[in-house]
Amino acid sequence: MSRELAATRGFDNIAAGAVRHTSEVFDAQVVVLLPDEAGRICHPRAEAMHRSLRGADLGVAQLVFTRGQKAGLGTDTLPGHDTIYLPLAAGPGAARDGAEPGGSVRGVLAVLLANPRRILLPEQMHLLDTFAAQIALALERARLADQAQDAAVSAEAERLRNSLLSAISHDLRTPLAVIAGSASSLAESGDRLDAPHRAELARAIYNEARQMGDLVNNILDMTRLESGEVRPNLQWHSLEEIVGSVLGRVEARPGARKIGVRLPPDLPLIKLDAMLIEQLLTNLIENSLKYAPADARIEINAAASRDAVSIAVVDNGPGFPPGDEARVFDKFYRGRREGAVVGAGLGLTICSAIAQAHGGGISARNRPNGGAEVEFRLPPGEAPPAIEPEPA
Amino acid sequence: MSSHQILVIEDEPQIRRFLRTTLEANGYRMIEADTAARGITEAASHKPDLVLVDLGLPDMDGIEVIRRIREWSPMPVIVLSARGEEAQKVAALDAGADDFITKPFGVEELNARLRVALRHAHRGGQAPSAVLRLGEVEIDLERREVRAPGRAVHLTPIEFRLLGLLARHAGMVLTHRQLLREVWGPSHTDQPHYLRIYMKQLRDKLEPEPARPRYFLTETGVGYRLKAEA
Repeated sequence: MSRELAATRGFDNIAAGAVRHTSEVFDAQVVVLLPDEAGRICHPRAEAMHRSLRGADLGVAQLVFTRGQKAGLGTDTLPGHDTIYLPLAAGPGAARDGAEPGGSVRGVLAVLLANPRRILLPEQMHLLDTFAAQIALALERARLADQAQDAAVSAEAERLRNSLLSAISHDLRTPLAVIAGSASSLAESGDRLDAPHRAELARAIYNEARQMGDLVNNILDMTRLESGEVRPNLQWHSLEEIVGSVLGRVEARPGARKIGVRLPPDLPLIKLDAMLIEQLLTNLIENSLKYAPADARIEINAAASRDAVSIAVVDNGPGFPPGDEARVFDKFYRGRREGAVVGAGLGLTICSAIAQAHGGGISARNRPNGGAEVEFRLPPGEAPPAIEPEPA
Repeated sequence: MSSHQILVIEDEPQIRRFLRTTLEANGYRMIEADTAARGITEAASHKPDLVLVDLGLPDMDGIEVIRRIREWSPMPVIVLSARGEEAQKVAALDAGADDFITKPFGVEELNARLRVALRHAHRGGQAPSAVLRLGEVEIDLERREVRAPGRAVHLTPIEFRLLGLLARHAGMVLTHRQLLREVWGPSHTDQPHYLRIYMKQLRDKLEPEPARPRYFLTETGVGYRLKAEA
């Protein structure tokens, strides 16, 4: 029995194994009673099995659980009862540790024998004690495993939360300072400022607010992509149109730079989620805008082959720190010049999540003659649908 | 010229305040409502020239507000929405909204939307003239002729129909469904690839730089907008 109990995971499995074995060996109806979060012993939620004991006395069980001492038939406590209640206590001697209510007692084993006289034999009672100890051990092991997993999950969550918080506080504080300062200047001394200065302050507020908006969007997207909440809405699209839409937005921003485009004229329609792919392209362009100097050339290239459609954003800026090309997609990774460049290090992570959600891939490299290149590939998938030709 | 009265149905007081400052600075009069129920009442009692309605109202779906208004009035309705609400935008437009604007928006964008919607309402949906000008290209929609300097441009009958529809709603968004239904018929409303292919053809023929469209704008996840001062 101990082998099966050791292999089972989860309290319900342990309880089922315990019921099966104990009922067979002792020719009895058996139930494992576990406490709820408040320490109250309750009936099991799992469906009753063939030899399950139903209608165990929860009052007696609670007493056994609290005291850590057995009760009922064949014991010193409530010997007139037809059922035996044994504490499931972890560790030797734990059963006697009654001072700590429910402390090391994990539950109660209730046994209703077909032949009650059997238990009056000392070796039978001893065997039942041993069974109870085995079950308790298995429960304890399951509890520790749960705890360890919870700890690992919460440590990871904690680490992410800390990175996120430090990124956010840095990246929101700087623009907030600019916005608050500029706005108070306009409010307090706007009439003493000349028009160009007023316009400059207003523009600063607008730009900083927009960046804060981008950051919040990226954080939201990241959370949604990771939770699996976003399932790509795949529709037939023209890549040229997607690029055009992205450029329309990026180039409309104040002080924007022009982005070069090289697309083959005969790109086929391709199935993708337009919102997500636009976000991906926007992030790649933003990245080049952020890290490449103001006079750098930024370009979008695309190519279609039988194996994939690939789109690359390239620039002739400083490129990635050598050796970091694979790490740039890590969450919270930030390139060189940290501090001067705003961004939580989520942009490329989101790109990678979007590419994966499309069944595609993404990679970064430094170009031989200098500059960064990030390329994402989408699988070609099925052939695009034909349209009825128009009568000429 | 008498100033237009605009009803703003929006639950966030900061946004209402910002809109009031902006609208009044641009010569509009503004009335406001902070719930959908009040908005519907105000629309009926004031009969404003235009309604700006937020999609995320606490007491009722903004789309329901549009339906209620459409039961008795064709007054222009523009939806205020957030990024990522594409499905709701489409539902609002299909329920009878005339256009949408995504928060955060700039004043210029807001003004353009208002101007177009008000002008469109005044014309009763008719095209202002049969001649559409896209930069150096002139298209006579009635006689189905294109005049482009230094090159011959030929548009197919479907391209003309699509362009004509966009031109009648110049400056306003049209959903994929609206365009497909009007140009190809109700059986094609779930075949957006027709639209992708024909928009590309129009851009290739009429845009100076098709990959950087100036006139045939994409409203991702929603539809298309012809940017032309008609």
